Amino acid sequence: MSLSNNTNTSPFHEVLNESLEKNLKIIDHTLGHSNDIMVRKITVGHHTLAMIAIDGLVDKTMIADAVIDKLMMYSEEEHEFDISTIHQHIRNSFLTVGDIANVEYFTALYQAILNGETVILLDGLASGFTTNTKHARDRAVTEPSTESVIRGPKEAFTETLRTNTALIRRKIKSPNLWIKSRVIGDVTQTDVAIVYINGIANDKIVAEVLARLDRIDTDSILESGYIEDYIQDAKTSIFPTIYNSERPDVIAGELLEGKIAIIVDGTPFVLVVPALFTSFLQSAEDYYQHWFISSLIRILRFFGISLALVAPSLYVAITTFHQEMLPTPMLISIAAQREGVPFPAVVEALIMEVAFEILREAGLRMPRTIGPAVSIVGTLVIGQAAVDAGVVSAVMVIIVALTAICSFLFPAYGLSNTIRVLRFPLMIVAAMFGLFGVMFGIMLIILHLCSIRTFGIPYLSPFAPFILKDQKDAFLLFPRRWLRTRPRLINQKNMVRAHAYINRKGRKE
Amino acid sequence: MAKVKGIGLLCILTLLLSGCWSKRELNELAIVVALGIDKVEDHYEITVQIVDPSEISVRQVSTQRAPVITYHAQGETIFEAIRKMTTVAARKPYFSHLQVVVLGEDLAKEGIDESLDLIARDHEFRNDFDVIMSYEATAKEVLNILTPIEKIPANKMVNSLRTSEKAWGSTIAVNIDELVDMLHKEERGAILTAIEIHGDRKLGMDQTNVQRVKTSAWLQYAGLAVFKDNQFVGLLSEEDSKSISFLNDTIKSTVERIACPEKGTLSMEITQSHTKIKGTFERGAPKIDVQINIIQNVDEVGCTINLMESATMDYINQKTAQGIQKRIEKTLETIQQYYQVDILGFCDALHRADAKQWKKIKGDWPTIFPELQVNIDVKVKTQGVGTLQNSLLNMPKEEE
Repeated sequence: MSLSNNTNTSPFHEVLNESLEKNLKIIDHTLGHSNDIMVRKITVGHHTLAMIAIDGLVDKTMIADAVIDKLMMYSEEEHEFDISTIHQHIRNSFLTVGDIANVEYFTALYQAILNGETVILLDGLASGFTTNTKHARDRAVTEPSTESVIRGPKEAFTETLRTNTALIRRKIKSPNLWIKSRVIGDVTQTDVAIVYINGIANDKIVAEVLARLDRIDTDSILESGYIEDYIQDAKTSIFPTIYNSERPDVIAGELLEGKIAIIVDGTPFVLVVPALFTSFLQSAEDYYQHWFISSLIRILRFFGISLALVAPSLYVAITTFHQEMLPTPMLISIAAQREGVPFPAVVEALIMEVAFEILREAGLRMPRTIGPAVSIVGTLVIGQAAVDAGVVSAVMVIIVALTAICSFLFPAYGLSNTIRVLRFPLMIVAAMFGLFGVMFGIMLIILHLCSIRTFGIPYLSPFAPFILKDQKDAFLLFPRRWLRTRPRLINQKNMVRAHAYINRKGRKE
Repeated sequence: MAKVKGIGLLCILTLLLSGCWSKRELNELAIVVALGIDKVEDHYEITVQIVDPSEISVRQVSTQRAPVITYHAQGETIFEAIRKMTTVAARKPYFSHLQVVVLGEDLAKEGIDESLDLIARDHEFRNDFDVIMSYEATAKEVLNILTPIEKIPANKMVNSLRTSEKAWGSTIAVNIDELVDMLHKEERGAILTAIEIHGDRKLGMDQTNVQRVKTSAWLQYAGLAVFKDNQFVGLLSEEDSKSISFLNDTIKSTVERIACPEKGTLSMEITQSHTKIKGTFERGAPKIDVQINIIQNVDEVGCTINLMESATMDYINQKTAQGIQKRIEKTLETIQQYYQVDILGFCDALHRADAKQWKKIKGDWPTIFPELQVNIDVKVKTQGVGTLQNSLLNMPKEEE
C-alpha cells in the first residue's frame, strides 16, 4: 500500500469534505461516472445520508436488510440529535452488519468500495464508515483439475483468497497458523497472503519471503506466476524453484514441513517456498497409501523422468554412433525400419518430437468439443501415415510415445515442462557426439541443479548435500513410524514431528 | 566480459568443428554376420555375409530377394581385402555384429595364426563371435548356402553349434579369445568345430533351396578339427568329438547308449556332467587324473529289464561308466599316439599343479605327451527312469 503513494494525485489523498454533495461529486468524478456505482440517499430527520457501493461486488439483499432497513427505521423514530451523535448511534446501535470501520480519506474510501464494502457518508461530517457487505461471485470448491488422486481429499483451492485460507485453516486448527497479508500491484491492488506455522517455519525464511514480496513494484498481479517470477532465486534457471499446488492437503503437508505458502487472490494455485527438486516428484497420494507401494511408485517416477529426458537422445546416439550396443536381431529389425527413411535419425527424432509438442499444445488450448478431431488427426498422421509413407520409422514413433507417456508421469506440472524443453538440446548433442554427448549434457544438467538454491536451501537436498536422515522421504518413502523428524535444512529448530508409536503390549516399534 | 564471450564462442566453434565425427546412420551400414577367410594361392579371399534388413523384417512383404548377400574380395592381406570390398559392396561392411568366422580348409592346413591377427586386433570386431572351420569346402562355399527357418545362415551356424554343444556334445563353440588363447601356448594344440556341406552346392545358393521341404544343400557340423602348430591336422570322429567334450567339461547334456544284459539297448540321457582334470608329479613323472561325475536318467528302454531293482540300477551305472571310460581312453590314444598334440590343456593342469617341476619338463613336452599316463575315473549316478516304470516290453510277461 505504501507503494501506491507514488502515483497518487491530490484528490486521491485528500480528507473527506463535510459537504455530502461535494464528496459525492468528487467520487463520481474520480470513478469516471462508471455506471456500476450505486449511490443511495436517505434522509434521517434533518440529515442526509448517502450509501455508496459497487454493483456486483456487494450483496444487495444484505444491504437492503441490514443497512437500508435499519436506517429507515431509525429515520422513522425522528430523533433530534446533532450529526456526530447520529454517527455514533448508527455505528453502535443500528447497523446489523458484522464489521464497521471509519473512513476519513478518499484513498481508504476508494479501496473500501472497490473491495466490495459499502460506505456510508453523512452530510455535515468529514468522515464516514464502511460496512462489510462483500459478496463476490465465487466458484464452489471443486475437485482439483491438475492433481487428481484416487485416494485423498477431493477439494481444491478456488479463486477467492478467503476461501483458500479457510481451506487451510480447516486442515490445521492451530493458533500457530499465522497469516500475513500484503497488497501488491499499484493498479490491481491484489491481496496476497503469506501462510506459515509459527514455530515450525524458519523465521529467517519468513522474513526473506516478506522482504522479497515488499520489493515487488508492479502495476498488476493477476496470477501467482507473476509473483513466482519476481521472488524466485534462480531467475535464469529453467528448473522451477517454487512449488505450486491447488490441493489444500498438499499445502498443509508442506506447511507442516516448515515451508511457507503464498496465496494470491484470483488464482487457485498456491505457491510454496522453498521448493526442493524432490517435491516435484512426490505426490500427495504417496502419503495416503502403503509406504511400500509409494516407494515403488516413486522409483517408477524417477525412472520415468529419466526416460522422458533421455529416451530420444539415447535412441539417436545408439543408432548413429554405437550400433554395436544393440543385440543383433534388434539392430537388424531397426535397420529394416530405417531402410528408405530419408532423414538422419536426429532429424527424424526432432520432427516427431516437435510434431508431438504441437499436438499436445493444440490439444491443451482448443475448445473441448473439437478435442477428438485433433486426437484422431494426431494419431493417424503421426502414428500411422508417417510410418506408412516412410517419413519416419516405427521405432521412432514408439520412442516418442514412450517419452510422451513418461512426461505425463509427473505429479507436478512445472518440472514436466522443464524436461520437455531439455529433451531437445540433449537430442542435438546426442546427434553430434553420441553417448558421450548425452553424458556431457546430463552432467551439465546435474551441475546446474547442484548450483541452484531456493530461499537458501540447496535445490537437490537431501541428495546433494547428502543428508542420511532425510532419505526417509526422498527417493523412497519409509513407513510412517520412521517419519519422525522434519527435513533438516528447512527448519532447524523444531525438528521432531512425532514420537514412537507404542502399541498395546507396550513395546516400542 | 569480452574475454568470456570470446571463450564461449570458441567453445561453440569446437563443438561444431568436431561434430558428428564417426557418425553412421543405420541405413548406411552393411551388417556383416559372417566372415569367411580362404587362401587362394598367395592371396586371401575374403567372403562376407551381409544382411539385407528389409528382407529379414517381419513387417514388409517378401520381395523374393535373398535375405543375405555375400561379397568376395581378394587381397594380399585380410584388411586390404576387406577395404577393397567397398568397390563391390553397396555400403561399408560393419563388423561389430559378426556372429561367426569360417576359416577355409586350405587356409587351416597352411596355418591360421596370421589370419586371426586382424580380427583379434581391430577395434571394430567384438570378441564374442565363434570361429569354425569349413571341412572339405571353402569358407566361401559355406557362406553361400541359404538355410531355411533361420533366414540368416550365420545365425543357423551359431545356433546349431550351440545347441549341439548343449544337447549332443560333438561340437564345441570356440570364440576368438579362446582360440587365440589356445594358439598362444606352444605346448598345446587347438580344436575348432568343423562344418561341412551336404548336397548340391550350386543349388544351395539359390532361393529355391529354402523353398523346398527337404533342402537340396545343407550345412552340418562334422566334428572337431585338431590343430597342431596352427595347422589343421585331422578331423576327429563323432565319438571322439564327444569324448573330447567330456574331457573339456563342455557337456551339458547328451545321449549314452549301453547294451542290455541280454539283447537290446538302453538309452541314457546325461543331465549333468562334471570333469576335473588334475595334474600330479610322481617322482618327477607327470601324471593326469581325470574325474568325471555324471548324473543321468533312463530315457529309452529297448529290452526286458526290471528297472525297479537296485541291482539293475547298479548294472546301468556301471555299464555307462565303462562305456564312457572306454571311449575316452580310445580317444586319448588317438590324440596321444596319432596326432601327438595336447588339445585338452593337460600342460596347463601340470603347470598349475607344480610350476617348478613343469618348467623342467616343459621343453620335452612333445615327447612326454604321447607317453603321458592318464587315469580316468567315471562315476555315474542314475536319477530317474522317466514317466514310465518298467518298459512296455515287460508287461505281457508279467501277466503270464
